[in-house]
Amino acid sequence: MKLEKSPSSASLTNGDAADKPSTYHSWLHSRGVWFSYIVGVYGMHLFLLSLPFFSVSTVWTLTTVVHSVVTYFFFHHVKGSIWADSQGSERYQTQWEQIDNGEQFTSTRKLLTLVPVLLFFLASFYTKYGYYHFLINCAALLLGVVPKLPMFHGFRLFGINKY
Amino acid sequence: MADAIMKFGVEPWNFAELVEAFKQAPLYHLAFEVILVVFIIRLIFSKSYSIESTVKLTEAEREQLVQEWEPEPLVPPVDPNHPALHYKVITKQGNNKLVVDGKEGINVGTFNFLGMLGRKETEDAAIQTMRKYGVGTCGPRGFFGTMDVHLNFEEKMAKHMGVEEAILYSYGFSTIASAIPAYAKKGDLVFCDEGVSFAIQMGLLASRSKLKFFKHNNMADLERLLQEQAVEDKKNPKKAKVMRKFIVVEGLYVNHGTIVDVEKLIELKYKYKVRVFMDESMSFFVLGKTGRGVTEHAGVDITDIDLISVSMEAALGTMGGFCLGTRYVVDHQRLSGLGYCFSASLPPMLASAASMAVDITQKETDIFQKLRSNNEFIHVQLSGLPGYRLDGDPISPIKHLRLEETSGDWQKDQAFLEKIVVRALDEGVVLTVARYLEEEEAFLPPPSIRIAVNVTLTEDQLTKITSVIRILAAAVLREKSEGE
Repeated sequence: MKLEKSPSSASLTNGDAADKPSTYHSWLHSRGVWFSYIVGVYGMHLFLLSLPFFSVSTVWTLTTVVHSVVTYFFFHHVKGSIWADSQGSERYQTQWEQIDNGEQFTSTRKLLTLVPVLLFFLASFYTKYGYYHFLINCAALLLGVVPKLPMFHGFRLFGINKY
Repeated sequence: MADAIMKFGVEPWNFAELVEAFKQAPLYHLAFEVILVVFIIRLIFSKSYSIESTVKLTEAEREQLVQEWEPEPLVPPVDPNHPALHYKVITKQGNNKLVVDGKEGINVGTFNFLGMLGRKETEDAAIQTMRKYGVGTCGPRGFFGTMDVHLNFEEKMAKHMGVEEAILYSYGFSTIASAIPAYAKKGDLVFCDEGVSFAIQMGLLASRSKLKFFKHNNMADLERLLQEQAVEDKKNPKKAKVMRKFIVVEGLYVNHGTIVDVEKLIELKYKYKVRVFMDESMSFFVLGKTGRGVTEHAGVDITDIDLISVSMEAALGTMGGFCLGTRYVVDHQRLSGLGYCFSASLPPMLASAASMAVDITQKETDIFQKLRSNNEFIHVQLSGLPGYRLDGDPISPIKHLRLEETSGDWQKDQAFLEKIVVRALDEGVVLTVARYLEEEEAFLPPPSIRIAVNVTLTEDQLTKITSVIRILAAAVLREKSEGE
């Protein structure tokens, strides 16, 4: 370790923190979190419905898109720990990769993967299987599901967001 | 239900219509949904597994990997000329003499400024304490480690220095390295001299504060940084309100031999509202009429410095260190100073030896004046050597003899000075070059021969030291120019 000369914060290298698996996501298992999540999505949907200038089909498509983009940002873009200083290996891991310490197909992961698919079914139904709605919903579905698949664990497209 | 939906819907539609739409859904859509249903079923029935354990190797692949593996050498190849392989062996230490590699010489290499190391009184005090207490409990201060010797010494130092409280550490290096991160945290700002010692650098590193370095001993540069910060604070008062600001300096810089301008420092402190930490490891028991350090030397009030840290490994001639300050400030370290909380306490005998050293200086009041005249004598004698530059204040016991013109290669210059050191040993003078962890110093000082003057040197010895250095320095320089 060496002190940095430039007037920037002296940063510690990874050395002092043991590479322990992250425990910051255990709250996803706690009681009522799944229910709250579904209620939250439904609440967002109701809010969009209450806006006067959108038709029902537009609102359903909007719901899938907003849901996918927001969950993508929080699960697959934000890295490290949200609550405390990140010092361990989780500094380079997205939130999704840290859930259940990287174990695949756990119940939490299954639920979070299912929600965008079910939203797609609902949106398809309520948009009367229209062609353009299908395209947009399909894109939102892929954004919501593909990064969650095990083969994309630790995958960084073109090294973007790697560090 | 359809009616209810119609009331709230924007466009006229009903559930029956939706079902009708489902019946007429395009084929590609239905096919896609069938795929999704299959996906869902597979997802629900997939077993969980750990992502790390997915790679399975066949026996042949494993065999091949074993075959391909080439072990790295346990010890990397080392340059046979590496200085760490050519260490010097000290076999005897006595008074101001050392026996290095079987050759005896006058010791001007170690920081034994007052000659406390090797004095009968301090040794006796240590032995006496050891007979009573043993070698210590091996417990941290807060955990079965505190003894009355520690408490008495803390009280004595506080009283002696005229501060409210002192706190005793068990290792000189970790005194300041623990004290800084006890106060400065992430989000704080530290103004720091470029010439500070390695212990301070490690303290700053552990604090994770933002650092701004000013030029060595240049108060104008410090003021410039403070002014810049004041402008920034005005722009963002919310941030400035929660950010603590510190100035970290040394009283007498061990790597430069220079003395800090305390008066100006205190003026800046009150003008820009910063806290001042000062490491007096080298200046304590050296500067000032009664050895109370830089503050006494400059005639300023010691309470104007927020925290003073002292290593007892220089002038006091034992081990450990202590911090001085107000009760409010110092007590914080009893729970937040890492070196205090988590290190075994100082062996009581070392505290006793330090205590005895303080007593000695109270009796022999002329000891500091004598040290000062020795320092000045050496300074005068070694100044103005052609081709060399003597760094350090005239009254500083630490002098750095550096090359006037560097070759541009740090290692080469160091090796050049090392030649003088080796030859001086043959002449009966134990010198040393200043050594650093070159890779890890923030601002690596130029190479130098570090001369540490002490009070026990007689006039003859002083003359001998200076004449040996003068002759050898000139001779080595001449050989070099002839070689070229």
